[in-house]
Amino acid sequence: MASPLVGTKLYRPQPRRGLVARPRLSERLERAAEARLTLVSAPAGFGKTTALTAWLAVRPQQDGVAWLSLDEGDAQAASFWTYVITALQGVAPDVGAAVLPLLQSSRAPSEATLATILNELGASPHQLYLVLDDYHLADGPDIAAGMTFLLHHLPPQAHLVISTRADPDLPLARLRASGDLVEVRAADLRFTLAETSAYLTDTAGLELTSDAVAALETRTEGWVSALQLAALSLEGRPDADAFIDHFAGDDRYIVDYLVEEVLSRQPEQLHTFLLQTSVLDRLTAGLCETVTGRPGGGAVLEALERQNLFVIPLDDHRRWYRYHQLFADVLQAHLHRERPDEVADLHRRAGGWYEQAGEPGPAVHHALAAGDVDHAADLVELAIPQLRRDRREATIRGWIEGLPEELVRRRPVLAIGLVGALMAGNDFADVEGRLRDVERWLPALRAGEPLPSEIVVTHQDEVARLPAAVQLYRAALALIGGDLSGTVRHAERAIALSVDDDVIPAGASALAGLAHWTSGDLEAAHRRYAASLGGLQSAGHLSDVLGCTIALADIRIAQGRLGDALATYQAALQLAVRRSGPPLRGTPDMHVGIAQIALERGDLETARQQLRRACDLGEHLGLPQYPYRWRATTAVLRESEGDLAAAMDLLDEAQRVYIGDFSPDVRPLSARIVRVQLARGDVDTAMQWAGAHGPAATDDVSYLHEFAHLTVVRVLLAEYRLRGSEARLDEADALLDRLLASAENGGRRGSVIEVLTLQALTHQARGDLTGALARCERALTMARPEGHVRVFTTEGEPLAALVEACRRPTAREASDHGAPGRRSARTGGGLVDPLSARELEVLRLLATDLDGPGIARHLMVSVNTLRTHTKSIYAKLGVTSRRAAVRRAQQLDLLSTPSGR
Amino acid sequence: MKHTARGSSHRSGHYRIRIEGRLDPRWVTRFAGMTLAPEDDGTTVITGPVVDQAALHGLLRTLRDLGLPLVSLTRTPTDDPYA
Repeated sequence: MASPLVGTKLYRPQPRRGLVARPRLSERLERAAEARLTLVSAPAGFGKTTALTAWLAVRPQQDGVAWLSLDEGDAQAASFWTYVITALQGVAPDVGAAVLPLLQSSRAPSEATLATILNELGASPHQLYLVLDDYHLADGPDIAAGMTFLLHHLPPQAHLVISTRADPDLPLARLRASGDLVEVRAADLRFTLAETSAYLTDTAGLELTSDAVAALETRTEGWVSALQLAALSLEGRPDADAFIDHFAGDDRYIVDYLVEEVLSRQPEQLHTFLLQTSVLDRLTAGLCETVTGRPGGGAVLEALERQNLFVIPLDDHRRWYRYHQLFADVLQAHLHRERPDEVADLHRRAGGWYEQAGEPGPAVHHALAAGDVDHAADLVELAIPQLRRDRREATIRGWIEGLPEELVRRRPVLAIGLVGALMAGNDFADVEGRLRDVERWLPALRAGEPLPSEIVVTHQDEVARLPAAVQLYRAALALIGGDLSGTVRHAERAIALSVDDDVIPAGASALAGLAHWTSGDLEAAHRRYAASLGGLQSAGHLSDVLGCTIALADIRIAQGRLGDALATYQAALQLAVRRSGPPLRGTPDMHVGIAQIALERGDLETARQQLRRACDLGEHLGLPQYPYRWRATTAVLRESEGDLAAAMDLLDEAQRVYIGDFSPDVRPLSARIVRVQLARGDVDTAMQWAGAHGPAATDDVSYLHEFAHLTVVRVLLAEYRLRGSEARLDEADALLDRLLASAENGGRRGSVIEVLTLQALTHQARGDLTGALARCERALTMARPEGHVRVFTTEGEPLAALVEACRRPTAREASDHGAPGRRSARTGGGLVDPLSARELEVLRLLATDLDGPGIARHLMVSVNTLRTHTKSIYAKLGVTSRRAAVRRAQQLDLLSTPSGR
Repeated sequence: MKHTARGSSHRSGHYRIRIEGRLDPRWVTRFAGMTLAPEDDGTTVITGPVVDQAALHGLLRTLRDLGLPLVSLTRTPTDDPYA
C-alpha cells in the first residue's frame, strides 16, 4: 500500500504568491467555520483549489487542516476511508488508529466504525477541517452513504470542505435549509472586472488599456484559467492590442486557442516535452526522462513551475507534479494530431518505468493505453497473488474487468482470479460460466507439460493452485444452491487437490463444515471446522481463526459440551491477546461467546463482566455478526436477571442489526422473542406466532427446526395452562417424543436436557408426579457434568418445584438462582456452596492491608474465630491462600458492597 | 416512423449534443466516432453513435472536464443519423 504516490495525495498545496485579493470570496469562505459542509463546486480551472488554499493559509495556528486529493481509485470505499483517516491522523493522531487495519479487509466501514471516528474527532480541542479535493472523482454509491452519515453526525468542531466539478450526491437541500452549508459556486469564483484588472496589471505585470482589460474580461468571462493563459500569451508581446482584438473576435474554444498560442511560443524541446508527457497522470523527473528519452526531466519540471505553466506540485520536495487538467487535455489533443504514431510508444515507456518502480496499477493502465493488452494481462496475473493476500479483491476485479473479454477467457489464472473476486463480492451471476471455461483447460494444465497454444499462463506457480481453486468455488456455489452433499464432495476434492497451500483447504473445510452443520451432523461439522481453524492459523489469518472459533463453540454448545466450548473460546482469546499491535478483529466476539456459556451455567456475574469487556473493546472490532450476538446474549442476561422488558427491547434491536450469513439459523430470533413473550405471560401473541410462523406440531423434526419446535411446545403448554385443553398437552407430548429421539440421535445433549425438562412439566400437568420427577432427575443428572443451569430456571415455579423436590447438590444451585422475577440474595456469586454474610465481611477485609489480628479486632472476634471463618472461606472458594482467595473473590465480584444496583 | 422496441433506451443510439463555444474539428480524435459541426450561433454540435448509457456519461464527463458548457442533448432515431 505504501508508495510514493500516497504522500502526494495528502500534500496540502501551498498558496501562490501574488494572488489577487478577493475579499468577497474570503468573506464567503469565512463562514465555513460555522458550517458542517463547505462546498466549492465549479468546472475545471475556476480556481477552486487556489481559493481554498488561500483561505486555509489564514486559519488560526491551532486549527487542524487535513487535506486529501482524491482520484478515481478512491471511488471504492475501502480506499476512500483509509485515505480519509490517514489524512485526519495528520492533524489528530489518535483518530481511527484502531479502525484503520480493519478497513483493508472489509469493503465499507460500518456505521459503528464511522461512529468511532466521529467520537474521536469530537475529542479534539481545536477546530478541524477535512478538505476533500476533486471529490467528483470519488463520488459514487460506494461512499455516498458513509459520507452522508459522517456529515449528519459531525461534532461541532469538525468541518467538511469539498471541492468538486459536480455537485456531490449528499443531502445538500437539507443542509442548505438548516444553514449548515456554505456554497462557493462558479458565479462566485469568476473574476470581476476589477479583479481581472488587478490580476492582469499587478500579478501578470502587463500594461493594458482599460478597453483591453474589458475585452479580455468579456471573452474569458472571468474564467481564471483562461485569464492565466491569456496573460501568458501576452507576456513580452509587443502587439498586445492586436492580439486581444483577434482573440476577442475569435469564438474558438478558449482554452484551445490560448494553449495553442502558449505552446507555439515555447522552444522546440519544451514543446516536445509538454506533448510527450501529456500522457502521464503524474510527473516526476525519472518518469519524464524515460518517456521523452532525454535527460534533465527534473530541471524542466522546475522551470515549468516557475513559469506558471500549469504544472502543479504534489509535494514539498518537488518530486511529483501533475498537469492542470485543462492543459493536459489540450496537450493530448495536440499530441494526437501532431504525433499520433508516437502515442502508443509513449505509454509503453511509461508502463515500463512503473513496472520497474514496482507500481503494477499504473503499469497496467499504460500497457492498456498502449494497446499491449497481453502485457497488461501478464502484469495483472503477476500481481494477483499479493492482492489476494491483501484481500484487495475489488482491485483484482477492476483490473481484470478492464481487460478484453476474450483475453481473460484464454488465461485461466485471470479467470479464476475474477471468480474469486466476484464471489468475495457476493456477485454470483457469471461465475458458473467462467468456472466451466477454466475446467475445460484443466486436463491440459498438467505440471511440466507444454501448454496448449490457445491458453496463456504467465504466473506458473498459480497454475498448481487452479484445480483446487475450481473445486473450492464449486463447493461454495453448491452451498449457495442448497446442495449440501455437493458442497462436501467438492470441498473434499479441493482439499485433496491442494498443493503447498493452507488457505484453500481451510476454506474448503469450512464450507464442508457448514454443510454438515446444516444437515445436523455435528461431529463431522466440528471435525471440518477444526481442520479449517488449523489451516487458517498456519496461514496467519487470525481474524478468520476467531470467526471459525465461533462455529466450533456453537457446535459444542449444541452438543451440550459447555466445557469444551469454553476452552475453545479461551484458546482463541489467548491467540488474540498474545500478538502485539492493535487488537484483533473478532476479539469482542470471543467475550460474547464466553458470556453465552456462563449464562447457560447460571453464572450471571461472569456473563456481565464478559459482555462489558466486549463492549469496552468496541463494536467496530467485532465480526459482522457481533452486533446481533451481543444484543441477543445480553437479552438472555436481562431475562435471567428478571428484567423481561429490557430483554424484549434488546431482541428488537437485535432484529434490526441482524445480518444473515451462510451459517444455519439454529436459534431464530422470532422464536427467541416468543419465549420472552411467554415469560411475560403474553400467551396470545405467542399463539399468533405459532399459528402464523411456527412449524406445525406435526411437522418433521430436524436440527434446523428444533429450537422453533421447542418454542412451539412451550406455547402449547402455555395454552393448556390458560385454557385447560388436554388436546394441546397431547400434541406437546407427541412432539416432545419425536424431538427427544431426534436430539439423542444427533448427539445434542443440551437439547435432550431441555426436552426432558419440558416432558417433566407435561407429566406434572397431567398429575403424574412420579413420571415428572423421573424425567427431572434424569435431566439434572445429565446437566451436572457440564453445569447446565439455565435450562432449569426459565420455566418458572412449576419446574423450580420439581427441581427442589429432586434434592441434588446441583438442584440446590439451580434453586438458588430462582425463577425469573424472584431475585435471590446475591451472596453466593455462583458458588455451589455460597458464602454466608459474615464470611463475605471477612473476605472483604482480607482484601485490605490489615493483618490477621487487625481484622479480628475490626470484627470484634477472637483470632481463632477468624481462623475458622477463613478456613471455611478458602474451602468454599477452592483456594489455599489469602492472596488466591482475594483474587478469586475479585473474579466472582464478591468484593463490592451488597447494596444491589 | 418505426416503432422503437422496448428496452432500446439501453442499446446504442445516435446523439446530438450542443455545447457552448466553437470546438475545432481536430478535437474529433478525442470523441472517436463523432462529428463536430460548428454552428452560426457560436455553439458546436457533436453528433454520432453512442454505444450505451455508460458511454454517454463518459462523453458528458469529458465535456464537463474540458469546461465546455452543455446546452442541449437529444437522442435521434437511428435510421436518420443526419437529423
